[in-house]
Amino acid sequence: MAETAALESKLYDFIDVLRDATIAISADEVLSLFTALPHIQILEKNAFKQTLKTCLIKDYTDIPIFDKCFDDFFSFKNDAQAEVVGAFRELSSREIIQDTGMPHDQVTALEKSLADFLDSLPGNLIFEKSPEELVSIFLEEMANSDSSGGMGMMLFNFRGRNPAGRQKGGFGDERMREQYGRIANAVEGMMRGRLSRNTTGAQIREREEYLLNKPIYQITPEEIKEMRDLIRRLGQKLKNRISLRKKRVKHGGIDIKRTLRTSLQYGGVPFKIFSKDRKIERPRLVVLCDISGSVNQYSRFMLLLTYTLQSLFSKVRSFAFISKIVEITPLFMEMDPERALNSIFTDTNFTYGWGSSYGRCFEQFVSDHSDSLTSKTTVLILGDGRNNYQDPGLRAFITIKERSRNLFWLNPDRRHLWSWADSIADLYAQYCDKMKEVNNFLDLSEFIDKLFIDL
Amino acid sequence: MFDSIKSTIEGLAGQKYIASEDIATTVYLSLKMEKPILVEGPAGVGKTELGKSIAGALSLDLIRLQCYEGLDESKALYEWEYAKQLLYTQILKDKLSAIMKNEKTLAKAVDRLSKEDDVFFSNKFLLPRPVLKAISGENRALLLIDEIDKSDSEFEAFLLEVLSDFQVSIPEIGTIRAGKKPCVFLTSNNAREMSDALKRRCLHLYIDYPTRELEERIVALKVPECGGKLRSDVVEAVHKIRELQLKKEPSISETLDWARALVILGIQELTHDVAVETLNLILKYEKDIEQAKDNSRSIFVH
Repeated sequence: MAETAALESKLYDFIDVLRDATIAISADEVLSLFTALPHIQILEKNAFKQTLKTCLIKDYTDIPIFDKCFDDFFSFKNDAQAEVVGAFRELSSREIIQDTGMPHDQVTALEKSLADFLDSLPGNLIFEKSPEELVSIFLEEMANSDSSGGMGMMLFNFRGRNPAGRQKGGFGDERMREQYGRIANAVEGMMRGRLSRNTTGAQIREREEYLLNKPIYQITPEEIKEMRDLIRRLGQKLKNRISLRKKRVKHGGIDIKRTLRTSLQYGGVPFKIFSKDRKIERPRLVVLCDISGSVNQYSRFMLLLTYTLQSLFSKVRSFAFISKIVEITPLFMEMDPERALNSIFTDTNFTYGWGSSYGRCFEQFVSDHSDSLTSKTTVLILGDGRNNYQDPGLRAFITIKERSRNLFWLNPDRRHLWSWADSIADLYAQYCDKMKEVNNFLDLSEFIDKLFIDL
Repeated sequence: MFDSIKSTIEGLAGQKYIASEDIATTVYLSLKMEKPILVEGPAGVGKTELGKSIAGALSLDLIRLQCYEGLDESKALYEWEYAKQLLYTQILKDKLSAIMKNEKTLAKAVDRLSKEDDVFFSNKFLLPRPVLKAISGENRALLLIDEIDKSDSEFEAFLLEVLSDFQVSIPEIGTIRAGKKPCVFLTSNNAREMSDALKRRCLHLYIDYPTRELEERIVALKVPECGGKLRSDVVEAVHKIRELQLKKEPSISETLDWARALVILGIQELTHDVAVETLNLILKYEKDIEQAKDNSRSIFVH
């Protein structure tokens, strides 16, 4: 009985780890896990892992995270069989305490106060202190409170004396001292278990948050590679959210044709009335991406994002420009991002070295590609608006605005740098629906998410 | 019924389906827990095949429902045959008046009629569609709902009752409960995300491309005439091709096609030239083929 309880608490800990790593797990899923467990051999690692996976993880994009959490949480010296045994390290700590004859409810109370203690600590303290130090603090606190029924005091005293090797004091009885020694060790074991559960999930999340919040300017090429999966995962989630949102509107008026046709079945009596479905249209997106030197770091990332957008949504046309504009939609359709990016940067059509000329590119876009603009099109411009003191081409820019539904500009420059030196961001901003400072991926995904709600 | 994970693997192998331990675990659990399975994964890894094999191994009736946009309950669940009902009423008009003839007052006539109205609202006018068939059949059935992601979200919502309680509510008749709970098997190609409500009711299984060893066994089973050397060459090449970033990766079915084609061509060894010439069997896009050709030296070692 005690064993099941310990197993359960271990599994709840693991579920908390998954939740920390931003995987959504509902009560239903936990319930189904506990219904499933009696049917399998818990010590068979693969079956155990798959059972957890099949019951808890309902989104396949979360599977890599699950695998990582599982390996971190249930691994023990990289030995396949020992892994599962090690998984129940905490169980053994508990058993040791119980062997000493401590009543069951007191053990539970001990565990609970340990958990409360860790929750009450300020976050950074957990990372700074070693488990031994934490145990000391914990026992000290226990000793000062009366709720532990004096046990805390005894443990505290014991720990305080034992390392120094003092034999005298309240522990005249050899057996008694040995017992408390074991309890203290077990408490330390529990503490270690708790600590590892508090950090595993959080570490994964922190790394992701770090990458997502890092200013795009500072992202290294290696990190871009690392982010590719992350971006794809977020992109997929974004798409999923949007596809759920895309509900049909059922108030489109009566579909006379269909109603009459069906009524023939019933001798002309219109039993069933059909209404016209009006689908909410997905927006058409036109992305113009500046890839010049001034946004060098940024543009690689932006192109990667454009690529993701294009692979997720069917009606996206992508253009890249420096001093000339080139459509890159077909390029992205045919190649993987890495190759596409490289071929863009080696393409001479953009005429490197001239510096970006927004005005000329807008004019060229209007004259060559204005077929991509309709009243349903949203135009997204990614660039810093540094025009190298050339003609801003406002006429063409206004034409783009007039021919499209919305015109948004995402600017990687900080707000106070707009219109600094050769940037004419503020000039363009007057004619945009909105110009927004976007520095990191999180801002960006928020923006895109909103974009699809408003449309 | 399978009685362990091992016997699940064996049972499926009897149907010429080689299941990994992961797949077998989920299948076994879903049968034990009587919960539906939602299977996701890239196209062509044998999701539908798995459903069919389970039905075969346990000799269940296989009822398949192919989803598409616009699928509604009248095609998936049941249809009420108004026309037939009307027709019957017309034909039985005389019979009805004969029955009612003896009743003196209008109130009594209505009472009399209401005693008979069960006839007009009975299973006779109910046209069962796959879901209802799976529930009301005499034998235990396996309901294979294929490509659920192609259906609309309304349809998904209406499946919920079936998935959690194995029952169907029909306004004209009442609730029909399953005599023998069917196994429900849903497949999805991730064209669209399923709602949380649906996912909660199912066990989730993600089938990815198999390991090399597993895929070789699959080829050995499905294309027995393919020799051991050719088999391992083919599988090795396919695995290397999957690592390239392609628009459409070759799936198991393409591996099998390739193996079969090579056998028909009488080829015993997968040389570099043969491989390059037959690439169009496993790759479906011109650019993919080009890319594989560019890397052909490292993919095809012979």
